[in-house]
Amino acid sequence: MEINERLIEQIVTEVLRAMGEPAAAPPAPATAPAAAGVELVLEEKGPAGQGPADEVVIGVGPAFGTRLRKTIVDIPHAVVLRELMAGIEEEGLKPRVVRVRHTSDLGFIGHTAARLSGSGIAVGIQSRGTTLIHQRDLQPLNNLELFPQSPVLDPETYRAIGRNAARYAKGQVPEPVPVRIDQMARPKYQAKAAILHLKETELVQPGAPPVELEVSFKPLN
Amino acid sequence: MKRSRRFEVLAARPVNQDGFVVEWPEVGLIAMNSPNDPQPGIRIEQGRVVELDGKRREDFDMIDQFIADYAIDLDVAPRVMAMDSVTLARMLVDVNVPREEIVALTRGMTPAKIVEVVGHLNVVEMMMALQKMRARRTPSNQCHVTNLRDNPVLLAADAAEAAVRGFDEQETTVGVVRYAPFNALALLVGSQTGRGGVLTQCALEEATELLLGMRGLTSYAETISVYGTEQVFVDGDDTPWSKAFLASAYASRGLKMRFTSGTGSEVQMGYAEGKSMLYLETRCVMITKGAGVQGLQNGSISCIGIPGAVPSGIRAVLAENLITTMLDLEVASGNDQTFSHSDIRRTARMLMQMLPGTDFIFSGFSAVPNYDNMFAGSNFDAEDFDDYLILQRDLMVDGGLRPVREEEILAVRRRAAQALQAVFRELGLPPIEDEEVEAATYAHGSKEMPPRKVAEDLQAAQEMLRRGVTGLDVVRALAKHGYQDIAERVLNMLKQRVSGDYLQTSAIITADFRVLSAVNDPNDYRGPNTGYRLSGARWEEIKNIPQAIRPEDFDV
Amino acid sequence: MIDESLVQQVVREVLKSLGRQAPEEKPAPAVGGGLDPARDYPLATQRPELVRTPGGRRLDELTLERVMSGEITADEFRITPETLRLQAEIAAAVGRRQLAENLRRAAELTAIPDERILEIYNALRPYRSTKAELLAIADELESRYGARINAAFIREAAEVYERRGRLKA
Repeated sequence: MEINERLIEQIVTEVLRAMGEPAAAPPAPATAPAAAGVELVLEEKGPAGQGPADEVVIGVGPAFGTRLRKTIVDIPHAVVLRELMAGIEEEGLKPRVVRVRHTSDLGFIGHTAARLSGSGIAVGIQSRGTTLIHQRDLQPLNNLELFPQSPVLDPETYRAIGRNAARYAKGQVPEPVPVRIDQMARPKYQAKAAILHLKETELVQPGAPPVELEVSFKPLN
Repeated sequence: MKRSRRFEVLAARPVNQDGFVVEWPEVGLIAMNSPNDPQPGIRIEQGRVVELDGKRREDFDMIDQFIADYAIDLDVAPRVMAMDSVTLARMLVDVNVPREEIVALTRGMTPAKIVEVVGHLNVVEMMMALQKMRARRTPSNQCHVTNLRDNPVLLAADAAEAAVRGFDEQETTVGVVRYAPFNALALLVGSQTGRGGVLTQCALEEATELLLGMRGLTSYAETISVYGTEQVFVDGDDTPWSKAFLASAYASRGLKMRFTSGTGSEVQMGYAEGKSMLYLETRCVMITKGAGVQGLQNGSISCIGIPGAVPSGIRAVLAENLITTMLDLEVASGNDQTFSHSDIRRTARMLMQMLPGTDFIFSGFSAVPNYDNMFAGSNFDAEDFDDYLILQRDLMVDGGLRPVREEEILAVRRRAAQALQAVFRELGLPPIEDEEVEAATYAHGSKEMPPRKVAEDLQAAQEMLRRGVTGLDVVRALAKHGYQDIAERVLNMLKQRVSGDYLQTSAIITADFRVLSAVNDPNDYRGPNTGYRLSGARWEEIKNIPQAIRPEDFDV
Repeated sequence: MIDESLVQQVVREVLKSLGRQAPEEKPAPAVGGGLDPARDYPLATQRPELVRTPGGRRLDELTLERVMSGEITADEFRITPETLRLQAEIAAAVGRRQLAENLRRAAELTAIPDERILEIYNALRPYRSTKAELLAIADELESRYGARINAAFIREAAEVYERRGRLKA
């Protein structure tokens, strides 16, 4: 599938413009209002299995796109997922999205996804936006690249993360995506991050296997 | 609504950049006294705890069991558990009740009992208690020495300056993990150039941290984390037993170490079981006690944004420091992470530890500008040096630092950079150019340093580990290039691990390589005119800040 | 084993002094070895004759000259089990029972090579070992290194991990 660059730009622009606006009325489960005009639809397709070698799996947290619909800095999950997928596709690989349900820990989300991934590479993401690139053979609490500060992650960075994950999957050794550190993010966001994580953790189902998600972006109206 | 100009001004104040939240007790987002905190209680049968804080032994999780079997003195428990908590709280504040009595009693308390006792204190009472309860009589301070580019020349110069400024412990960490051996080496050479006896550590993943210690490139360790719920402990990939074993492993190599914990970590990781942050932190302190570790770094540490966001959170952070000292442990009391946008708030938070004094008031104070702080910034940084010195002088309080002269600092920075240059040459590491020495002498931060060839450095750093370069090789390199005095100091640091004196509680090492610990410098505070008093040469030193005007300055 | 009677004695003395003037006298002398923390600590300066390197040298023999001549190597800069037990005695004498126990466990570990120490640490982490594997480590520590306290500690861990479901599946 070829991604339409202009559409993404358009979504991102609209989303950024819409940031800070009050949320719309709660939609039906598994849909998330992305921005003016687009919503994320995640349909569960049963237990997630192994995929082909030319894929990168994106493992999302238990509340992603359902109970929580945007990151800690209000980037809609629709945009996050769209950017990650576009980054992977730009490198000629296929994104596949699974929901990890038995844990809300980023390392374990990423590692679970990497073990399902045909290429052995996965992107793990929590609902608040914290992200990493993981590899099947690594220890769960290790990673290839970690983006620990969710407040500094923007759509461009998610795109770059998708791109790099695909490059690892192709056996390349890419330059890591530059990590920005904001020393004042802790006093500003740490408590909010904890609340988002707690909300996600409440949805953890111990022992539940990961499920395959079919992703679509529907225009509203 | 038309906005009030005053409200607009207030909204723009730095403090309103900070995040605040209401309590959410069901998930543990509460500093103290969660409705879900257990009631204190203990039942002992045949020399064994069969019920702890309302939980029966068969329901114990790992942490309950470890605390019950290792951290509670059963001879004392029945008596102290029967005592009224308000009475115990008053004893903590009463200058007529000596520290040893409180320590003996706290040994028999359960976690819930300790929390209940401390819960009766306001912050001034907690500070009074902390002044009495810290283990070492002489207060001290620790710093961070890091930089954004892991530049070893700058690390050495900053370590030397920090040593002259008075820090007894220095902690570094890395931006790029593979730089670790260079960071440890630069800190060792730089710190000992500044003053002999400064302890140094390099915060890393457990195995590498231990390895650098074994090689003699560091002299202590601190980043050994413990948590207050079993789920979070296991998510942190450890158990009380594995961490206790690690503690013994350090001691078996003659290396000082302490654990690390802090309020907020369990709720941040999503499994606080609805318990208050302070209750869970008390369990961490008791795990540390039970493991036989001499000390603990706490005061929320990297989670400070969480207690900082809820009511009474900064009081809870002070309480956790106090509980650590009640259990007779060394406390390195936090203040080591960016905490607030507000200068007023970050100072108020810091005074809780600075005024009573702790074993290490900061753990640590960033001895570099915060943009170079690889622990994501500290509560105070190098740009706050003069404010801190003047607070010491205003209040007549020993915060561990000393005023310095610019000439003295430039000289020692240059010498540290040159000494490292010689060591690099002798060990066959990528050369340090004279222009780097020059830049490091005058620099404030890594932005003023010429770039190094990072790939070569990283390769050489890994090669250095493979070759098994030790502290003794550093001694030889220094002596061979005319740095006899620094060589002697590094050698003396290595000798510490043979005698093991600095394995005792709250140990620091003086410039003449005498170990000062809670054994030979025990806190004997008993009210006015007792305990540590700022006087004599040390007070003269603090008084004499260079910026104070002297009458003779006006003589022609 | 920890000297129980000593701990009890210290506790008794402290409790006895409740509500009274702090005792001026020095801490109780250790029953066994007779080290007095107030007189004998730090060992390096107060009792240097008690401290030896693994090769049997005194601290004052560890000079820069000997290092430069190559007479002394890095292996000499290690603590011995005997010194750790002396430090344990001091810790116990000032009422730090758990610190003393840790130092006694450490004394047993001095004989075990660095890599093996790290392996055992990793084996003790959650979900890393079966019960049989942990018990085998305990046996190895006991029979090969005489590390009885550590062996018992690891056997205890095996029981706890089993009860709490933290063993390798």
